[in-house]
Amino acid sequence: MNNEATYWIALAHLPKWGYGKINNLIIKFFHDEKITIEDFFNLDESVWSSKYQLNANDISDLKLAKSELANNAFFAENLISQGYELIPITSTEYSKTLKQNLKVAHSPALLYVKGNKDILQKMSIAIVGSRAAEGISLEFTDNIAKRATEDFKVVVSGFAKGVDKQALDSAIKYKGQSIIVLPQGITTFNSGFKTYYKQIVDGDVLVLSTFHPKAVWSAGLAMARNPIIYGLADEIFVAESSEKGGTWSGVIDGLRKGRKIYVRKPEPNEENANVLLIQRGAIAVDFNGIENSNVIYSEQLTSPSLVQETLVSIDNVNERILKVFNVGPLSAKEILDRTGLDWTTEKLTTLLQKMEEVQTVKKGKTNQFVLKANQVDQPTLFG
Amino acid sequence: MTTRHEQENKLKQTFGLDRFYDDQWETIDRILKGERVLLIEKTGFGKSLCFQYPATVFKGITVIFSPLIALMRDQVKKLNGLGIAAKCINSEQTPEENTQIIEDAKKGKVKILYIAPERQENSEWLEATRQMNLSMVVIDEAHCISVWGHDFRPAFRRIINLVKLLPTGLPVLATTATATKKVEADVASQIGGNISVLRGNLLRENFKLYVVKVTSEDEKLIWLAQYLEKLEGTGILYTGTRVDTEIYSKWFEHLKLSTIGYNAGLDTASRVAIENGLMSNKWKCVISTNALGMGIDKPDIRFIIHTQIPQSPIHYYQEIGRAGRDGKPAHIILFYNLEDKKLPESFIEGGRPSISKYEKVIHAIRNELLGERELMKETNLKQTQIRVIKSDLIEQRIIREVTVGRSKKFEYITNASALNAKAFEELRNTKKDDLAQMIQYVETSQSRMKFLCDFLGDTTTHNFTNCDNTGLKKITVKPNEEWTQKLQDFREDYFPNLEVEARGSNIVNGVAASYYGVSNVGTSIYRSKYETKEDFPDFLLRLCLKAFRKKFGQEKFDFIAYVPSSSDLVKNFATKLSQVLNFPITHDLVMTRQTKKQKEFENGYLKSENVGGAFSFNNPSVLKGKSILLVDDIFDSGATIKELGKLFTNFGALKIAPIVIARTVGGDLG
Repeated sequence: MNNEATYWIALAHLPKWGYGKINNLIIKFFHDEKITIEDFFNLDESVWSSKYQLNANDISDLKLAKSELANNAFFAENLISQGYELIPITSTEYSKTLKQNLKVAHSPALLYVKGNKDILQKMSIAIVGSRAAEGISLEFTDNIAKRATEDFKVVVSGFAKGVDKQALDSAIKYKGQSIIVLPQGITTFNSGFKTYYKQIVDGDVLVLSTFHPKAVWSAGLAMARNPIIYGLADEIFVAESSEKGGTWSGVIDGLRKGRKIYVRKPEPNEENANVLLIQRGAIAVDFNGIENSNVIYSEQLTSPSLVQETLVSIDNVNERILKVFNVGPLSAKEILDRTGLDWTTEKLTTLLQKMEEVQTVKKGKTNQFVLKANQVDQPTLFG
Repeated sequence: MTTRHEQENKLKQTFGLDRFYDDQWETIDRILKGERVLLIEKTGFGKSLCFQYPATVFKGITVIFSPLIALMRDQVKKLNGLGIAAKCINSEQTPEENTQIIEDAKKGKVKILYIAPERQENSEWLEATRQMNLSMVVIDEAHCISVWGHDFRPAFRRIINLVKLLPTGLPVLATTATATKKVEADVASQIGGNISVLRGNLLRENFKLYVVKVTSEDEKLIWLAQYLEKLEGTGILYTGTRVDTEIYSKWFEHLKLSTIGYNAGLDTASRVAIENGLMSNKWKCVISTNALGMGIDKPDIRFIIHTQIPQSPIHYYQEIGRAGRDGKPAHIILFYNLEDKKLPESFIEGGRPSISKYEKVIHAIRNELLGERELMKETNLKQTQIRVIKSDLIEQRIIREVTVGRSKKFEYITNASALNAKAFEELRNTKKDDLAQMIQYVETSQSRMKFLCDFLGDTTTHNFTNCDNTGLKKITVKPNEEWTQKLQDFREDYFPNLEVEARGSNIVNGVAASYYGVSNVGTSIYRSKYETKEDFPDFLLRLCLKAFRKKFGQEKFDFIAYVPSSSDLVKNFATKLSQVLNFPITHDLVMTRQTKKQKEFENGYLKSENVGGAFSFNNPSVLKGKSILLVDDIFDSGATIKELGKLFTNFGALKIAPIVIARTVGGDLG
């Protein structure tokens, strides 16, 4: 695979190509035509156009990428010499769980990792929760991590403050294995590599990133890596969530995709949205992560609540959309990318035009959308 | 696709040459088609044109990885003279110069860029490579890629990794003048990607090969003193060690012969000056370790002499390969004394530290991310040992070198396999075989040129007559009284320097009466210290006095002090010295705490730590404003002497000068 790194880097980071588009192309050349990525890049333009049905823009993107291959080679050599590994989606080393969960539309074509790759093949759980979590939520996290370790399951976490960090540190404490899913490029994680050096070297921690190796942290990337965390996990545990923010939207999104999500049943005096999530379809679990089938919430998993869920989920979609407006006018496609919504642009455009808080702005022939003035100061995704 | 004829027209315009040789064209043709080629041709063939010409045809930049800084400079000068935009980046230029060149390269203002392989570790360069328009990659001295070759360089490993990642269609040219069949196969397989191998014959008909058997080092010195100036033209004398370089060049200086000494430890300005002088035939002979000459584009080196047998015929072939590029006759002389085997043997045997030391290093790196200095402290191993070990561990993929911020650290590779000690065994055996072959070259009664060609894998039926076994008159050494005396005079006139001066200390550079390993000085010291326990013999005193007079003349010192130790040998020696020189001796320098024997500490850092604060002086007020001659038996890293210099300075001494009987050559960073 090493010799192909140059090509995979070119393909995975084609500007404005979403995961779905890239994966469909990969299916075409790798599975259908049975050629290597190197062969694909060396094909004549006419073949790209006729056999692969690529349009003029696509072809020009590919040609540009091709002209940069030699530069990629220097970049790839440096990455590899520093111990980073590249795992393309066609590799047997790619996480099968990730592929199954995210499917063609959302699986990243290329993973950048450092550490013990074998961890990607093992049974795994994710423990997620808000950054401000304290007390019982963190104890729960520690407990779940402990039990997962006893079951030889890998703990997947996002390295954010609060629950994420607790999950990782607990997994390490109990001598289990874990995956850190970075909200940034893998070469920007120097302090982390220093802190977890021993665990990485001993094969207990795998660091993973789906972004360009040099990408710096941004709220957008932090948001985008949540589906990856979910995707890498067989089971998902939520320690604590508020009614908005990354954890909330991650769970709602996961539920919509049919994932089983276990949410800690809170004590009566707690102020968080765990109960709301359970009402939406998450499964309540006790402190040990065991399903509590006697809980009355289970009665609400009937069609009325499904309808309610749909309505509620639309409210949440609105919120999600509003959250991504912090850089200026966006096109419908850009909003789709940032929110991770599985919609067509037409559907989104219709909604955007109905939303009170959003204004339509014409840019040439396309529509762009901005927040109306008094909405600009939205809090960021992580409070 | 243009034809050969069209390309030759362009050649005439850009390089002023009429045609390509057929082998050159074959290479260039493939390169222009975007292929990969391994070109093995003897020195003087014109390998450079095979990449310089295509570089001028391509639109983007051609990057040439070369380990030879001298070569880069020469080539860039030549190309610029032809109006071709060539530059080089290396550690001898200032960072500002290098940065400017990188900027120019990014903007497309540079056509040909020579660069040292170590630059792949430089982040500024790496950033630039992401933006340059690359047309071709060249690996010069490609034999450096192979561990089976004579000059394996770890930095080239990364170049190979890079080449493997380059896209198809980007031409790659690897060239070398020295590769056995085994090395050729290894290099070709490492580069991979449909590479074609083009190999010419490596025989050099204009060489006149001689081997001179002697029974002592003195015989070599005497023969050269008598005949060096009688050899035609200018040339190079290769010695085995830097110490020998110094001794030979001082000997010739003593005799007022036109020579100069060179070694890789000189500062850049000096090195450049000597390289330039060599090019303009300023001296009859340049004396050097094999650091000199690699890649110097001098066509008329008329003789190359070795006073030390190299490790293998291929090392020898490469070193003599620099002679007579112009095709005119060149004298190639190898001196051989049975004793000389010991040096390469010690490299081979002692070449690697014990396995337990490897385990120590592995264990340290598994625990923590460490840089070289930290590793030395943690494991108490010499820098040279650490470097050999780390190189092997990297080779076996147990550790890797990473850049963290601005520093280099070693990282254990997850899931790495255990240390393969067998591999060392194999390598050691191969090297032993190679050395045996080199000695065969000395002993053979057949054609020496044929011997070398066979070793390289050249198949030839040529009938050679160019050595002292096949027609040329043998060289014999006949030392006489006169010359033996001259040598003796020299030995009592030349004394090694002790470089200890430092800021904040009033210590000045001192002198040693001899090098430890040379002549009988070392053995005498050893015998007194560890066998007879009797005072150092008188001849050492006489030698020391001569050294003192040479260095300090009639200068007076207020005190003689000596480095205290458990035995009285140095004290007694210093006392005798004080009587002869008539300087008062002080016995007030004492040890405050038991230091561990410095010998136990393998490297300079720990030795410094060992001696710090270990000494004191009983009556410090007498030292104020005084000068001190500080005596010891052996100078190794100099840690003790430097520390004492600081001590005396703190007590108000104005000048401290060290004088020792012998100076070792093994000191690491000291």
